[in-house]
Amino acid sequence: MGRSNAVGGGYGHLIRAIVERELLVFVRYPINALGGVVTFLALFLVVFLGGREFGGQAFADSLEGIIIGYFLWMLATVALIDIGQEIGREAQWGTLERHFITPFGFGVVLLAKSVVKTVRVALLAGITLLVILLVTGERLRIDVLTVVPLVVLSLASVFGIGFALGGLSVLYKRIGDWIPLVQFAFVGLVAAPAAGIDWLHALPLVHGSDLLQRAMADGVRLWQFEARSLAALVATGVGYLVAGYAVFQSCQRRARRHGVLGDY
Amino acid sequence: MTTEPPTAVDADEGDRPRGSRDAESATEASPALVVDGLTKRFGSGDDAVTAVDDVSFAIDSGSVVGLLGPNGAGKTTAIKSILGLVVPDSGSVSIDGIDARESPHAAHGRVDAMLEGARNDYWRLTVRENLRYFASISGADPSAASDRHEELLEQLDLAAQGDEVVRNLSRGMKQKVSLASVLASDASVVFLDEPTLGLDIESSLTLRSELRRIVAERELTVIVSSHDMSVIEDVCDRVIVMQDGRVVADETVSELLDSFETQEYRIVARGLEGTAVAAIREAFPDADVTETGDRVRVTLPATSSEFYRLVARLEAENARIDSVDSGTPDMEAAFLELTGGGDR
Repeated sequence: MGRSNAVGGGYGHLIRAIVERELLVFVRYPINALGGVVTFLALFLVVFLGGREFGGQAFADSLEGIIIGYFLWMLATVALIDIGQEIGREAQWGTLERHFITPFGFGVVLLAKSVVKTVRVALLAGITLLVILLVTGERLRIDVLTVVPLVVLSLASVFGIGFALGGLSVLYKRIGDWIPLVQFAFVGLVAAPAAGIDWLHALPLVHGSDLLQRAMADGVRLWQFEARSLAALVATGVGYLVAGYAVFQSCQRRARRHGVLGDY
Repeated sequence: MTTEPPTAVDADEGDRPRGSRDAESATEASPALVVDGLTKRFGSGDDAVTAVDDVSFAIDSGSVVGLLGPNGAGKTTAIKSILGLVVPDSGSVSIDGIDARESPHAAHGRVDAMLEGARNDYWRLTVRENLRYFASISGADPSAASDRHEELLEQLDLAAQGDEVVRNLSRGMKQKVSLASVLASDASVVFLDEPTLGLDIESSLTLRSELRRIVAERELTVIVSSHDMSVIEDVCDRVIVMQDGRVVADETVSELLDSFETQEYRIVARGLEGTAVAAIREAFPDADVTETGDRVRVTLPATSSEFYRLVARLEAENARIDSVDSGTPDMEAAFLELTGGGDR
């Protein structure tokens, strides 16, 4: 009886359950998910039409970079909001504590949910990107082997922030309402003029965005970047992720000491 | 019934709760759950509140135990401390022999809980999807469990609603879905907080009998917290009563009812002289003796030997005994007796 040996073979079931739930909710409530795509698309069109009108040739020359930067910002924003607000929503629904009582532990379940949500967001962002390309008539030369690792490592730092904010929302559930404000900070981070300002590269998204812009604009391949530059990207990604996870664990321990884990 | 504190079953037990089965004695039977010296305080200094105060008990595998107590008695904090949702200040919890402090994930992976009543599931998923989801996140293979899930839906009279989105169901149905999703997870120890809340009488009765059947079939260990004493009486083998953070009684349901049944006798007699009444008052100082006209009513909180001594004394005084009543206690009366009449 029981589930003593469930964990070993159970990670697959855990991931599958989370994927199935995301899909089911998406299919059952498509307006919610597609609403996000339409919003991002509308916002891009404002940027695109405004830039073409007033930016002239300079805008046209940097359009590829703008498109990929916008894609990264959209991905980061939606992933962060989803991860950060997930805990508050689960607490509201009354399901948060059930996710704690699993053989995997709360942190692993939340990490799995975050990864699955981000993949879902990436697919929607991909659709949005395709529509953007159709609207602008642009053709992106995407080197998958370069772009995917850069995007994943850039998003790792966003995951870290998401975990930290998620941890804070374990303690202060209403904080989730304020998380969308972070998207404005992300605009600055994705578009930061990082060249020549070393300390800016320590901020999340900045270095990854810079490398992505270079990859898109100058056709630099992953292995053509300086080793130091790639190491910095890995260090910021992993560093923020580990630090964010540590904040999350610390917050959930504090919440359990104070008996407020499931409160809303 | 009087509102005196309960008498200890065994004089040697001192401050221990009635009939307590502590961790030491239960270890031999390898129980499903052992709680030893669990203590939790909130706040500090003068504002500190001891929510759970040195609570110990052990629950054998396959049994159903009721956890009762007035509001603020510490039931929820105790349950959440056992589940790891609250970190206790001291004490230990062992689930299926696994120390929850040393191996929290392994220990807490053995349990599941219905803590939020009908708010325990995803309302945007169907009933079957919820069962599948919560079984999966507990590490079970949902495909292998699908037959058992169907059986659960049948047992809880939910089969017709299996493909319905939970948000469209009634409050009572949601409550049953919540229970089903907890039982779907293949946990060996299950905590149910108010499992019949919101159910109509028929559904409540069905659920009680099915719960007993499921427990017997799966050797499930269940801890039930409920305001409905009839649920506790029907479903539970044993009752743990908490008050002010402490366990004040820990007995089987029948022991608890029996002990209260023999604890108080009410005798109505006639034909007693004033001096005889005074003599009875003196001989039985714990008795409550009231006179109404020529009737004398004696209420005696006592053992059966005290009762027979009183009857003998009344006969010796040539009294005519009109009635003897030991009352018919139920869980409600026993609970009120133990906790001094607080709300649950």
